[in-house]
Amino acid sequence: MIKIEQLSKNYRSKKALHNLSLTIEQGELFGLLGVNGAGKTTLIKILCGLTKKTSGTITIDNLNLDQDMDKIKEIVDISPQETAIANNLTVQENLEFFANIYQNNNPQSVQGIVDIFHLDEVLNQRAKTLSGGYKRRLSIAIALISKPKILFLDEPTLGLDVFARRDLWGIIKKLKGKMTIILTSHYLEEIESLCDRVAILSQGEILQTGTIEEIKTMTGAQSFEEAFVQLVERKNAQSV
Amino acid sequence: MHRAFNFFKRNLKEIFRDPVIYIFCLGFPLVMLILFYALNKFTNGNTLIFELQALLPGVMLFSYSFVMLTLGLIVSKDRQTFFLKRLYSSPMKVSDFIFGYVLVGVLIGILQIVLCFVAGLILSISAGVQFLSVGEILLLTLWQMPMLIMNVFLGVLFGTLFNDKTAPGICSVFISFAGILGGCWMPIESMGAFETFCRCLPFYPSVYIGRVITNAQNSFGVSYAFDNVALLGIVPIALFMGLSILLTVVAFKKNIVSDH
Repeated sequence: MIKIEQLSKNYRSKKALHNLSLTIEQGELFGLLGVNGAGKTTLIKILCGLTKKTSGTITIDNLNLDQDMDKIKEIVDISPQETAIANNLTVQENLEFFANIYQNNNPQSVQGIVDIFHLDEVLNQRAKTLSGGYKRRLSIAIALISKPKILFLDEPTLGLDVFARRDLWGIIKKLKGKMTIILTSHYLEEIESLCDRVAILSQGEILQTGTIEEIKTMTGAQSFEEAFVQLVERKNAQSV
Repeated sequence: MHRAFNFFKRNLKEIFRDPVIYIFCLGFPLVMLILFYALNKFTNGNTLIFELQALLPGVMLFSYSFVMLTLGLIVSKDRQTFFLKRLYSSPMKVSDFIFGYVLVGVLIGILQIVLCFVAGLILSISAGVQFLSVGEILLLTLWQMPMLIMNVFLGVLFGTLFNDKTAPGICSVFISFAGILGGCWMPIESMGAFETFCRCLPFYPSVYIGRVITNAQNSFGVSYAFDNVALLGIVPIALFMGLSILLTVVAFKKNIVSDH
């Protein structure tokens, strides 16, 4: 589904991504885990066409990122870290606006999304008056309006309380298998709870890829947290 | 085109649900018109540039700069909240974005024009003097369109280049420029070298030709005429309008795939 080869991204002298190679299969819920500044958001931005890569090759659904960006834009969608909604529009108007952008003229599919995200009760409320949890739900709901083959969720539960976070996990689990989902997070329990496979990033490089169990076995750690800390610390020590 | 129109509808709702537009775009120009008109009445009509015929083209030009402020604010906020970035990953094209913003700006400008003329008509009726003819109203509206377009594009440009803290500040500078360098509130024709400088910019020529259309009189009591000042004034207006469009398109295109 997604094939990344030797991807690098430099911001002037800073290397944000360095020789990164990765394959993500269709229907997977793939986690990108890393501390702040590891390169997770940069990678997602490149895959969505929001930032240019410096070098490397990317193929998404057999389409080349350099040549077929317009076609790729029709099959991917993103729920960014920032909620990115129209604040003075109601929840319903936000959904309708994005449905029109993606020419989704099926009111049933929009209603289906409203049902999944339990947005009925706030449908006529302006987005700026919503709670953080609802804003985040709306943001992800908007990303589904385009019926994407690939959905990018950039830190979907950032800043949410434990209840709103678990609520959102439930929704993301329901989406599993219906599309390819790439989720970034620095919450280990989130990755552990949701993802089929994980890539651990640090300083723009992939340190390890695999299932949670595979990563634990490879590092010999008892817990996923221990494995993560071990890998990142080893990388930091090499850099020094 | 449907995406551009959809974006225009969203911008319209977003802007008209914010009280800022009623205060700045619609209320403030109206206050200026009434204030200067009243000032002239209290000075026994001695301030000729505050007569309705001279005042209207200036107030119209001044009000367009608030359209620039409004657009600067919405574009910069859309960038700041990541709303635009999200749309950049959609199949929307640069032209869809620009059309969606520009059309809403032009619509606000037309509302301002209607409001200014209605207020002018009420003031002239209350004073028992003749107002502009329909032909003069249409011609003045048409003549001031390039300045409206310039302000609309500049609003999108400043919103694209600056954040929502800086963009209003930059727009405020332009609002002051429009008022002072356009001769909206002061007799530039009596200021020698300063007038020559103002003729090189689009504000003064726009007001000047507007006053030719409305048969206004300058501070010397002489009617504005379609002379060399007016004729040469077309050049900076066309130049600055073209430049604002070009810079906006380039800046917006660049912003879509930024390295930030």
